[in-house]
Amino acid sequence: MTTRGFSCLVVFTLMVLVACESDPDPMPVVQAPAVYKFSRDGESTVSFDGQTTRILMATELINAMEDFEVAELALNEMWANETAAGGDADPFENPALNESTKSVRSKTAASQDYFSSNVTEAIKIKSEFESWISAQVNEVFPNELVLAEPGIAGQIADDVSIRYVNGDGLEYNQAVNKGLIGALMLDQMVNNYLSISVLDAASNRADNDAGTVASGKSYTTMEHKWDEAYGYLFGTSQSESDPLPTLGGDDAFFNKYLQRVDGDEDFTGIAEEVYDAFKLGRAAIVAKNYTVRDQQAAKLRELLSKVVAVRAVYYLQQGKNGIPTSGSDFGAAFHDLSEGFGFVYSLRFTRQPDIDAPYFTASEVDAMIAQLTAGNGFWDITPAVLDAMSKQIADAFDFTVAEAGS
Amino acid sequence: MKRLGQILFFLGVLVICPLACGPDTDPFDDLMSDGFDRKEMLVHWADNVIIPAFASYAHATDALKTSAVNFGLALDEDSLLKLKEHWLDAVKKWQGVSMFDIGMAEQISLRDFSNIYPVDVEMIENHISTGQYNLELPSTRVAQGLQALDYLLYANQDIERVLADFDDQRRRQYLQAVVERLDSLAQQVLDHWQSGYREAFISTDGSSATSSVDKLTNDFLFYFEKFLRAGKVGIPAGVFSNTVLPDRVEGYYSQRYSRSFTELGLNATVDFFIGKSYDGDVNGPSLEDYINHVTAQNGTRDLTLVILEQWDKARQAIESLDPNLTRQIENNNVQMLKAYDELQKAVVLLKVEMLQALNIQVDFVDADGD
Repeated sequence: MTTRGFSCLVVFTLMVLVACESDPDPMPVVQAPAVYKFSRDGESTVSFDGQTTRILMATELINAMEDFEVAELALNEMWANETAAGGDADPFENPALNESTKSVRSKTAASQDYFSSNVTEAIKIKSEFESWISAQVNEVFPNELVLAEPGIAGQIADDVSIRYVNGDGLEYNQAVNKGLIGALMLDQMVNNYLSISVLDAASNRADNDAGTVASGKSYTTMEHKWDEAYGYLFGTSQSESDPLPTLGGDDAFFNKYLQRVDGDEDFTGIAEEVYDAFKLGRAAIVAKNYTVRDQQAAKLRELLSKVVAVRAVYYLQQGKNGIPTSGSDFGAAFHDLSEGFGFVYSLRFTRQPDIDAPYFTASEVDAMIAQLTAGNGFWDITPAVLDAMSKQIADAFDFTVAEAGS
Repeated sequence: MKRLGQILFFLGVLVICPLACGPDTDPFDDLMSDGFDRKEMLVHWADNVIIPAFASYAHATDALKTSAVNFGLALDEDSLLKLKEHWLDAVKKWQGVSMFDIGMAEQISLRDFSNIYPVDVEMIENHISTGQYNLELPSTRVAQGLQALDYLLYANQDIERVLADFDDQRRRQYLQAVVERLDSLAQQVLDHWQSGYREAFISTDGSSATSSVDKLTNDFLFYFEKFLRAGKVGIPAGVFSNTVLPDRVEGYYSQRYSRSFTELGLNATVDFFIGKSYDGDVNGPSLEDYINHVTAQNGTRDLTLVILEQWDKARQAIESLDPNLTRQIENNNVQMLKAYDELQKAVVLLKVEMLQALNIQVDFVDADGD
């Protein structure tokens, strides 16, 4: 820059400074509240009943998958909340769920960032869940009284419990349960509701700046989007605003496994970090401070992705440790590997904090799943494969296999 | 030159600074105006694109009406083929006007009365057998228009059977009623454009939400997102439902035009965007030019190229499909989903990047409530 150019700039800067001295501080400090409570004109602005509904639907679905009396039709209806012909279905025990038009299926692999322009893969993923549900009824249920063998579905003892597995040793209900943690809860949180594309969609930012609430609601659309992410983690908590005291006992999905990871001393504090980031990000929206909001969203993408990865490594390691050196006592290993299968499947839905990409791509995850199911699946799997896969996962994050594995 | 630059720089500082920190009154509109001649674009749109498109469509519905009368008199194979030919021409021309849901077209819900699908076969047959119907009722939209004709002319593939069916005078009367209403709606819209609306349209040349540019750009986007991406491809491919819906394609009964209607819709979209005149002879000022104009000011990347490339990909994906989309969905729906994905990528570019560049607010929202 020439001297004259520089002096120009100085004059310009001075003029701006002088002219703008009365401007308010452009970046107000954001303070997170003690608990997740936000209100406008005395009315709470926090709402996430749609998320609660879907968690409860998913809960009934995975429980029903263990009921040998249940028909495939009923499971499909719990999945889609519709009859096969597209009519209204009432598959749930909870009548409120039957009233709802929501479904597990419609939000599975359905995030804005990963799947809105990629329905080809979204429908492939939905079909995989459908194939697990169907196979539970058509492969596993008929073999209730058959002893599982390589290539043959049936029952297998896991200490005092009995597990029902397919010919690969996989429990389909675990694939669905743990798979949904990624394909429904994680995907909706980190690739949808915490996404800039969703938070700032249409006129959300201008509306939030102006305090314009959604039609007939107490919240701005942006506030609500953030709450909907929160709802996939805390939607069934006993206290909506103070969920950590009962963490782990409120559902069998993300809530449960955030607590499990937090319970490992190598990761203690992660639940608090997640909760704090949700509170601070939400407070930042109220304060119209989008820098802080985006920082918390990035932090949540990283932390929530990590929970899934830690749990994947944990179960792969537990499964490895459970493989008997002699004999056929595979039950404990199969149960862990079934859970591991679901968490590995969920890695495809993780989200790196600052880019629009998962920690593991669809094809990388497909390759891992192919390794787990090669030949006769868990019957054939070797400790070396499980160790290599564990390391591959841990290396993408900031933890070790040893930290996650115990 | 350098000195001039300096002077301009200082002038810029003097002008911008007080404004940037000024009170809430908004003198930006004039001063920060993007300098694009919106009126010239509106004139081109009206005179070279929209009015010729409606004239051509209205001409086609008029010919359709004539051939329906002739068919009613002759009731033979030749007149039936002629009628089918004119029906096809009308549906093709329809693809060129569907997006212009503004003015009279919007007032009379032209699109909803002219090309709704799937049609309600039971209602159509009921109308025929009772002779009791009022095609002005919104509830009868699913029993009239071009797609009701698709059913009436093609539900039966056997020509002898069709002729036998139309031996029933009530069926002939219904055919006439549907064709006449279709044509009268088309003429109304054309007349409106030609008797004053053109002037109103081009004089609303500001940049507010009610200006013609903002409204028509939204109509264009809405058409592309809801009627092309979703209606022609996504809905039948099962993107929004739990199962595929192969009977929801456009031209379901004729079984061979659904892909070409989609291609024509995409052509109309691209042509409008690049400002191609309806007769194809001139390229006038367009959304493409407008975007290039503002992005050149901002020094941002070449958005219009990205959009056009994306449409090329979508076109290729659509061209690879079976001419009968129902058959495509039943045989290999993945190809349909891929075409949908390419169209959706274009939606994102238009809805986020184009609207942002042009500083136009989207006037419709997706209902995705939880």
